[in-house]
Amino acid sequence: MKEKKNIDNIFNEGFKDFEATPSPRVWENIQAELKKDKKERKVIPLWIKLSGVAALLALLLTVGDSLYNSTDAEIPSITDENVIKTEKELQKNSSEIENDANATQVASEDKTLQNDAAGDESLSESDSVKSKSEEKSSNKFFKNSSIASNNSEKEASKATENQKNNLIGKDPSKKALNEGIVSSKNNSEKTDIGKNDKEEKLINKDIVFDTKKEAVVVNEYSEKSTSEKKLVKTEKEITEESKNKKSIFDAIAEKDEEIVSQKKKKEKPEHRWNVAPNVAPVYYSSLGNGSSIDPSFADNPQEGDVNMSYGVQVSYAISKRLSVRTGVNNVDLSYSTTGIEVGTGPVAVALRSVDYGGREIVVTAFDKGALANNGPSNGFGDITPKSTQGDARLIQNINYYEVPVELKYSVIDNRFGVNVIGGLSTLFLGNNEISVKADNFNSVLGEANNLSSVSFSTNVGLGLDYKLSKKFTFNIEPMFKYQLNPYTDSSVNFKPYYLGIYSGLSFKF
Amino acid sequence: MTLDELIELCKKQNATAQGELYKQYNRILFAICLRYSPNYTEAEDNLQDAFITIFKKVGQYNGKGSFEGWMKRVTVNTVLQKYRKQRTFEIVDEGQIEDEAEVEIESEDIPLDFLLKIVQELPDRYRLVFSMYVMDGYQHKEIAEMLGISDGTSKSNLARARMILKNKIEEYNAKNDNT
Repeated sequence: MKEKKNIDNIFNEGFKDFEATPSPRVWENIQAELKKDKKERKVIPLWIKLSGVAALLALLLTVGDSLYNSTDAEIPSITDENVIKTEKELQKNSSEIENDANATQVASEDKTLQNDAAGDESLSESDSVKSKSEEKSSNKFFKNSSIASNNSEKEASKATENQKNNLIGKDPSKKALNEGIVSSKNNSEKTDIGKNDKEEKLINKDIVFDTKKEAVVVNEYSEKSTSEKKLVKTEKEITEESKNKKSIFDAIAEKDEEIVSQKKKKEKPEHRWNVAPNVAPVYYSSLGNGSSIDPSFADNPQEGDVNMSYGVQVSYAISKRLSVRTGVNNVDLSYSTTGIEVGTGPVAVALRSVDYGGREIVVTAFDKGALANNGPSNGFGDITPKSTQGDARLIQNINYYEVPVELKYSVIDNRFGVNVIGGLSTLFLGNNEISVKADNFNSVLGEANNLSSVSFSTNVGLGLDYKLSKKFTFNIEPMFKYQLNPYTDSSVNFKPYYLGIYSGLSFKF
Repeated sequence: MTLDELIELCKKQNATAQGELYKQYNRILFAICLRYSPNYTEAEDNLQDAFITIFKKVGQYNGKGSFEGWMKRVTVNTVLQKYRKQRTFEIVDEGQIEDEAEVEIESEDIPLDFLLKIVQELPDRYRLVFSMYVMDGYQHKEIAEMLGISDGTSKSNLARARMILKNKIEEYNAKNDNT
């Protein structure tokens, strides 16, 4: 029988109780995927991002700090190679510290075992135990390294302390501590070893050694039981700590997953590329109190000037939150030194850090008062002072072409965004000049001859942005850039940095 | 085990509970996938993705509304993600087609697998809009939002889907009348 029916109703009614059975393959795939996922969950994207940013910041701060804190003579001697070296060494050192820590523990382990064995006058046994302990040491290596990595610096420093004490061997309490750790670890193993060894040794017909060995175990246990208990406890605490830490990671992972699932739609950035022309006032100054032009100006008042930096950056979004960027900027920097006098004289007595271009008689600057004692004895005898009106200033202008490589991590990503930025810049020296200026006088002395043609800076900053539309974003980024090796001259205690407030419009595509 | 207990265990990523949940709901959700996918194989793939999403996101289910409804929404969303980006080239200006709510045809006993087949044969967007509006009760506004299209486009897509389906059913009827 035919009747007119709304097409919607046909489908609606037809599929009302519609069910269908998929093939078993589907469930198998789901299970496989879930298993894979569980494994992958240990590799936490957010954690990696955070740790990446943290590591980068840590590296920058460490490099910056070590340079800043090291002795005056060392800093300026840093050249391009050295910077790369120090970075490498930093990484190397940290891994070495870990290795050393492990090595000493293993070594001390062996030592104590040997000592114990010697006490029992059973060398052959010590060998067998030793070999076992060596087998175990590989496991312990992992254990140690995981603890070391979790507790990072603290653990490493502790370990080095222990190491020192072991080497010196003068601190009985620390020694006992180490022995305690070793023995506490070994005791549990030894009981196992004892059982296992029994069989082996029966085959070897070394029953005597075996019984002796058990006695050793008992003796050792009673001797060190008190210290062991404590140490076992601390060990437990450490392992618990590491467990707790893992659970925190898991928690982060879970949280991350929530975030991921909440924002899954948005997770994959639609437009990965971003071009941002920018312009910034930059303020140049120094953390050190030396002068880059001449040591005699070290105590003179120096002040940074505000100049401009402009350029363009291209960034690529690795994920929704993390992007890597590079670009090129033209940076003009300058700073002025006051408290000087200007004079004319032969090159021999002029400022050494200035390249006068082969001229014999040059205009140069001196610390105020130096020319007052003008006399043949002090080497200024040939200088003719120039009278100037107002305060004379010695100005150094430097122009760099900056190529930054920076990571930008978005902390808040709404219409208004907050980002953390960190990275390195390579600075290619452009023009530079040193000049003297007074109210009625202006003269370019020449180029500075102690500037590195290629130098680096570590950059950290905060990025604030406001999304004008889907494609256009307005950015303001206060950045702090610390120069690593701006001067080739080792006598310069001048640690320049520059602050810039970069602003611009960025365009996504 | 009650459903609440099952959900709690699933939130803890308990494998047994996940298996049980799958066992209870795979048929209902597969039906959705079949309606939203162009063929059986892709429907299975989508069911797989949907369940994985459900297991991952189950922590977000806050107990408001039925769990089945929540799972259905997740399933629909999962499928949408896959097909909404595949744009169909529409030669006809979508605004030109009126929303004809009353498309009536002579209905006989049309087998369900034929209905399913012609739905699956619809271009992606028409299929999504038709399934969402007619069978899952979404409003045009929601559909437009979820698919990233305008209300008008949703309406016109629906109208075109209806016309295509109507023609196919009529063809089918004609064929059956002749035999």
